[in-house]
Amino acid sequence: MENHIEDLLPFYALDALTEEEREQVEAYLATHPEARTQLEEMSRAVSVLPRGVPPVNPEPRTKSALLARVAADQRARSSVKSQPSQRVNRFQSLFRPLGFAVAILALMWILLLNLQVVGLNRQVTALHDALAAQSDSLNQIIQKLPQGTPSDTITVSLKGTDVEPQAQGQLIANPTSQSAVLVVTGLPPLEPGKTYQVWLIGGAPVSAGLLTVDANGQGVLIITSEEAIGSFNSLGISVEPEGGSPQPTGDIVVLSDL
Amino acid sequence: MGPKPEVDTDRLSDETLAIQVSRGSSTALEVLYDRHGATVLGFALRIVGERTAAEDVLQETFWRVWKNAETFQPQRGSFTSWLFRIARNLAIDVYRRGSVRPQTIPGDDDSASDLDQTPDPDMDVASQAQSALENKQIRNALTSLPGAQRQIIELAYFHGMTRQEIAEATGEALGTIHTRARLALQKLREELEREKFEG
Repeated sequence: MENHIEDLLPFYALDALTEEEREQVEAYLATHPEARTQLEEMSRAVSVLPRGVPPVNPEPRTKSALLARVAADQRARSSVKSQPSQRVNRFQSLFRPLGFAVAILALMWILLLNLQVVGLNRQVTALHDALAAQSDSLNQIIQKLPQGTPSDTITVSLKGTDVEPQAQGQLIANPTSQSAVLVVTGLPPLEPGKTYQVWLIGGAPVSAGLLTVDANGQGVLIITSEEAIGSFNSLGISVEPEGGSPQPTGDIVVLSDL
Repeated sequence: MGPKPEVDTDRLSDETLAIQVSRGSSTALEVLYDRHGATVLGFALRIVGERTAAEDVLQETFWRVWKNAETFQPQRGSFTSWLFRIARNLAIDVYRRGSVRPQTIPGDDDSASDLDQTPDPDMDVASQAQSALENKQIRNALTSLPGAQRQIIELAYFHGMTRQEIAEATGEALGTIHTRARLALQKLREELEREKFEG
């Protein structure tokens, strides 16, 4: 490859390469300083070639034509230079009042945005308060559960999916037991004809019952399984037609590992 | 040929004059034209082979100098190198369009005897002598090249042919073309050094 490129150097100096070949040589030169030195020597030799041809005095008309073009170009340049100042003055007189109006509008826009920000902040605070209330409700429900749960009972926190991100819950269970208590908050009541269905997932999902939530989005379900709760990997809640489905068909609103 | 520009401007280097042209000095352009016009015309005539077309190339070359002077970068080479690159590109375009045919046949011939070589009356004697000496040194160096090597230079530089086109035109292998091109430029450089060419 390098020999091939170095063969091209004389033709690069003579400007007798294709565009693709020029690019190859220039890429090579960028990383081979010794090649650049060679090329410089060749280029110096090439640069004198025009002077190896006998000079010929031009016709006077050629110079006259050239200078006429130059003079016309100079006049055109002068004409362009004088116009912008006039345009600037007209621009200023026309747009000064408009500029003031734009400034007023901008100020009003800023005030409006500030008001929106204040409103949004209030909404965020309200949401925080609602979330805190839900957590309090959840804790109250849990406290109402029978006391004295066995020491090997575990509590798994459950989280809502992107469909219902505010949903949360807890599964209280003895992994060796076939029963568990599911407590959920933050799930909106469903329209008539639909229901929440709970699934225990180890391989294929197994229905663990239908969950009803109240107006506050809270619900409790006692789960009874044919296998130990600890044999399942995850728990999910989906939206299904009233009466439930053999397998999940609707949106998954809660999905967590056990 | 018109009134001679101011003496002070005459003494400025090509590069300084080019900067003045970029700032809009038509006087500087005129000095450059008077200084190099004859060489550019002879060079253009060598490529395109027809006087009127060569004069057009000359005018267009200096028009482009006027319009693009700000793109000349002294650190990348001399003004004359830049000037002759412009002239060559224009002349090769004319040549390739096929509207003219070269006056000379590539080879040993140097048929410039019927052309106007009257020295420029506006150049001072010393400059004329220096220029004539340098041009003679270059021609001697070119003449010293073996015919086959000089032919490569002629076809590549004065006819704008690629190496593949040269190989096809001469019936030679690409490797041979590469070797001759390298040797030609090497020998040209050595001959110029031997002639003590100062450029």
